[in-house]
Amino acid sequence: MKELTWRVSTDASLQAVLDDPACPPLLSQVLASIHSWQIRNETTVGRTLQASRLMRQWVAALVALGAVVTVERDGEAVDTALDEFLRRWVKGTVTTLAIPHQSDGWWGEAHVARTPSDDPIVSAFAVVRASNGVVEDARIVLTGVSADPAWLAPSPPDLLGQALDTGRIQRAASAIENEVQPEGDYLGSEEYRRAMAGVLTRRALEACLAQEVGDE
Amino acid sequence: MNSNRMKRITLAINGEEQTLEVHAGDTLLDVLRAASYTSVKYGCGTGDCGACTVLVDGNPVHSCQMRAVDADGHRVFTVEGLAPFPARKMADLHPIQRAFVETGAIQCGYCTPAQMLTAKALLDRNPDPSRAQIEEALSGVLCRCTGYLKIVQAVERAAAVMRGEEVAPFGHIEATLAKDASPADLLGQYYALPGDGRRPRVPLVVSPPEMESLDVVGQSELKVDGVKLAAGAPAFTDDVKMEGMLYGALLTSPHAHARILRIDATKARALQGVHAVLTHEDIPRVKHASGGQSYPQPPPFDQVCLDNKVRHVGDRVAVAAAETPRLAERALRLIDVEYEVLPHVLDAEEARAAGAPVVHDEPDTEGIYNREHNIVHHIEADEGDADEQWSRADVVFERAYCTSQQQQAHIEPHVCITYWDEDGRLVVRSSTQVPFHIRRMLVPLTGLSDRDIRVIKPRIGGGFGNKQEMLLEDLCAHLTIATGRPVRMEYNRQQEFTSSRSRHPTVQRYRIGVTEDMEVVATELDLLGDTGAYGTHGLTVNMVAGQKGLTLYNTPYSSFICDVVYTNKPSPGAFRGYGAMQCFFGLETMMSEIADAMGWDVVEFKRKNWIKKGESLIMAKALGEGREGFEQTIHSNGLEECVRIGVEATDWYAKRGRLNEDSGQQPGASGPVRRGIGMAVAAHGSGIAGLDMGAATLKLNDDGSFNLLIGATDIGTGSDTILAQIAAEELGVPLSDMIVYSSDTDFTPFDKGAYASSTTYISGGAARKAAREVADQIRRHAATMLGVKLQDGEGAADEGVVLGDLRLRDRAVWFPDGRSVTLEQVALSSLHQQEQHQIMATASNMSYDSPPPFGAQFAEVAVDVETGQVTVERVLMVADIGRVINPVTASGQVEGGIAQGLGFAMCEEMVYDEDGHLVNPRLGPYHVYKADEMPEIETIFVQTDEPTGPYGAKSVAELSIDGIAPAIADAIHDATGVWLREVPFTPERVWRALREVD
Repeated sequence: MKELTWRVSTDASLQAVLDDPACPPLLSQVLASIHSWQIRNETTVGRTLQASRLMRQWVAALVALGAVVTVERDGEAVDTALDEFLRRWVKGTVTTLAIPHQSDGWWGEAHVARTPSDDPIVSAFAVVRASNGVVEDARIVLTGVSADPAWLAPSPPDLLGQALDTGRIQRAASAIENEVQPEGDYLGSEEYRRAMAGVLTRRALEACLAQEVGDE
Repeated sequence: MNSNRMKRITLAINGEEQTLEVHAGDTLLDVLRAASYTSVKYGCGTGDCGACTVLVDGNPVHSCQMRAVDADGHRVFTVEGLAPFPARKMADLHPIQRAFVETGAIQCGYCTPAQMLTAKALLDRNPDPSRAQIEEALSGVLCRCTGYLKIVQAVERAAAVMRGEEVAPFGHIEATLAKDASPADLLGQYYALPGDGRRPRVPLVVSPPEMESLDVVGQSELKVDGVKLAAGAPAFTDDVKMEGMLYGALLTSPHAHARILRIDATKARALQGVHAVLTHEDIPRVKHASGGQSYPQPPPFDQVCLDNKVRHVGDRVAVAAAETPRLAERALRLIDVEYEVLPHVLDAEEARAAGAPVVHDEPDTEGIYNREHNIVHHIEADEGDADEQWSRADVVFERAYCTSQQQQAHIEPHVCITYWDEDGRLVVRSSTQVPFHIRRMLVPLTGLSDRDIRVIKPRIGGGFGNKQEMLLEDLCAHLTIATGRPVRMEYNRQQEFTSSRSRHPTVQRYRIGVTEDMEVVATELDLLGDTGAYGTHGLTVNMVAGQKGLTLYNTPYSSFICDVVYTNKPSPGAFRGYGAMQCFFGLETMMSEIADAMGWDVVEFKRKNWIKKGESLIMAKALGEGREGFEQTIHSNGLEECVRIGVEATDWYAKRGRLNEDSGQQPGASGPVRRGIGMAVAAHGSGIAGLDMGAATLKLNDDGSFNLLIGATDIGTGSDTILAQIAAEELGVPLSDMIVYSSDTDFTPFDKGAYASSTTYISGGAARKAAREVADQIRRHAATMLGVKLQDGEGAADEGVVLGDLRLRDRAVWFPDGRSVTLEQVALSSLHQQEQHQIMATASNMSYDSPPPFGAQFAEVAVDVETGQVTVERVLMVADIGRVINPVTASGQVEGGIAQGLGFAMCEEMVYDEDGHLVNPRLGPYHVYKADEMPEIETIFVQTDEPTGPYGAKSVAELSIDGIAPAIADAIHDATGVWLREVPFTPERVWRALREVD
């Protein structure tokens, strides 16, 4: 697999990210569909990482893509996986966001919301890296199913080292449905959010599968 | 202010470099408005609404979210920079501004500057954007008036003009349809059936052949206030700054129910720059109702300006006035309040149960029906022979429906400025729908008399009923009385949710009896209305609910039982639809359910039973608005044509129940998405029969133009324009000859205000009467000028010319012999030369009729059966609003009503935690439909000639919201087989309903 890295300064606005032709399509889709032009113009990448709860779709997409942040402290630059960075705040200044760009990876996103442009109640992002049709890595991130703004699901063991198919996708989705610990609110109860975690994970992975088929 | 916090910044504003002294905490919005760039509007302060949008270095940003110091050294562009400011005429405007005026994209105009700037930024980057790109770009600016269709069309038009393309005049399509002709042929010209996407995006106006065309009435004239709103002129309440003005702020309750044991404002008053702090200890306890309604206001009088008890989170506690807004807020934080927190009740059913906390236990509120059970009103009415009709019923259905508390969410908040004028009179400049009611209501609260108070209504940034309420005017007045200074008060967005008004939530239990041959013979409606902490509008909204909910089908036996109960929630009030739309959701959904259960064609079932021309409304007398009403007979009814046309335009019978057939023609036949089509019919009213009154004054000027002075309150609806059209038609002049001034209690005659769908019908009638009287004066003077003898009406051998034979057209009076005198000549003669007098007249209008406009609404939806998410893909409204005075502004009302109806149906709901705190008091989490998620919207008008209305007009504003939710419910059932009986149709509610069926 040919792996490149797409880097963006944390000073860059979200609109600058969207305007970058090299911006991964998953990010473009999230930025264009969820956040208004105004918000994209006035919000820097760095600010989204500080206010990840407000920008959880974007952050979830970044985590799914395996984003890494560079944190500078005392003249030293340290790379940290974004999901780890979000879990335990790392002291220092975040200067760069880097995303491994998978030329032969697949991605999918699915969500449910009250209206087409509303903030999703639950969403699922899947990024699958495969070699010769065999899954090497699958990162599945959900929003709306955890106290965390973006919840990185444990790698579904059923998928790794296997070809992606509907049966494995269904089992992975069911596993995640059982795994999540959502809290209910006015947009969706705990029961509903759990059910959606399964449905939307399955759909995000099915979108990956569709890309695999398309690649063939 | 701490001088260390002051910074000097340099901004290039509209190309002009300016150095400004700003506070470190100031937003760019604060600084621009302080520098008189008043086109930049406050809407929410949280970046949700986008009204504050400006361009920074060419990019749209929320100026409320950007600190001014962060804009230092940057280019800032506002609407004032689009064209020479202030623009005075269309030709002065930038193509984007012109397009917004020409397409009717401006209703209230409050969000317009932000929409136009966003459009400019888009077109600067992409001169030929697709519709989707335009919608996406505009999605950051909320518009509550328009439904976005015309805004998108404006941007398309501006883009074409800026590319150098010719554009056709924007308007409506006129068509004629004979009564018994098939609409299919007519629609075929505009709708290729089955739909291939070729549908008109402008209103189609269908007329009967006998309806005569008029010169000004019926034309899609440009709004008379369009230029100033497009130019961003300082036209709104908050766009003026008074010398020495103080800023008022309101302290609100953190508790749902509590008694104020002690309140100490000593520290707040001691703060330098604070000029007044008022609590319940400082203001006389005068019981009143805050709803802006005609005298005498409906009971109960259960409010005082400031009370020693709070009844909902957000209730009034105290006010302060200070040199700056920041200081006023600081003063509020220094007020020490000791509360005794009381048990509270949030649910209407629980509120009327035994042992519930009593919301109004104070002895000085009178007229509560059952205080211990929180039942403020109990209403019972029935008509017809119950035993006879129930005995005819072959099948009886019972269903319950629930509606939620929707917020008006107008983008301009409530805002008010009060001051003493040079004559020592109190001037109230307010964002109100009811200036005359406000003046009257302020009298007992301030101790002033009517003659001491002047209320001015500038342009209003939307109201939808929420400004039919006195929310700030009394407090602001008290602060001016206390300080002697001008005072400005404005709600912030959270206070709009917690301290203003909303839609009454309801629980409706319908019982309907039908015969086997599709006749509805008996209907009972048991309604529970939740009026929150105060009874304002509680009686009238729920009476209207019963009246409308029982007369659409005019069942031979109709019965209404209603409890209106207090809870510890922010009070609902007036909101477009006013009880009718809640009950139409229940009624129309139930009619569809009955048709489905009985295996009947839903259209035929409704057709057989809806009220027909010549029938009397069964509940009209029993259920007026807060009092007994008046008998009403239907004189015009185009519902049959509306439905026939709607059925054809939607290809109803090809789609109904068939959208998921595996025909290969329809998408969504497999997979988790199911499609469906639904319909509902509705009828509303045109003003309050026997109560609403409006007046108009017309005055002829030297040049033959006219001042039209009207008390009617244009809150963005375009009423100034259509009233001027009515007068212009009568006087034979173009609309441009009318100079409209509205809603100033000193200078315009009385009008009840903008509510109850009354303005076109009631105020329009006044404008026509005044114009007729002025026209006669003009005729008489013209006859004098030419020495023509007029018949005096006495004696059979009267040889003079009949007054009515003198025609007013083309700015002149035309005599039967072909001679003419221009209106300018008449004016100059009458003012300066001959039988000198001012040609003018004032006329009043009221009516014991309230003719219902009728409409059919059709919705097409896609339902994701795995998630429950419903996407509304298309809405068509076919409406009979009598004669359409202005098709573009009328269709704007339809589109805006549809957008609000979509919100009611799909997402909008005020939700509380167990302590009574609203969990979604922001426009983002609450969610109002955005430009990029609107379904396709179409409007068709079926003109009828209402004999009691001006030029045959009825009303449009509220009808447009009435049938959206039941049409969507019907469509969801068509798609999935499940009935949704509670709005909004959130994904989880739909998902659960689907699971119950499984």
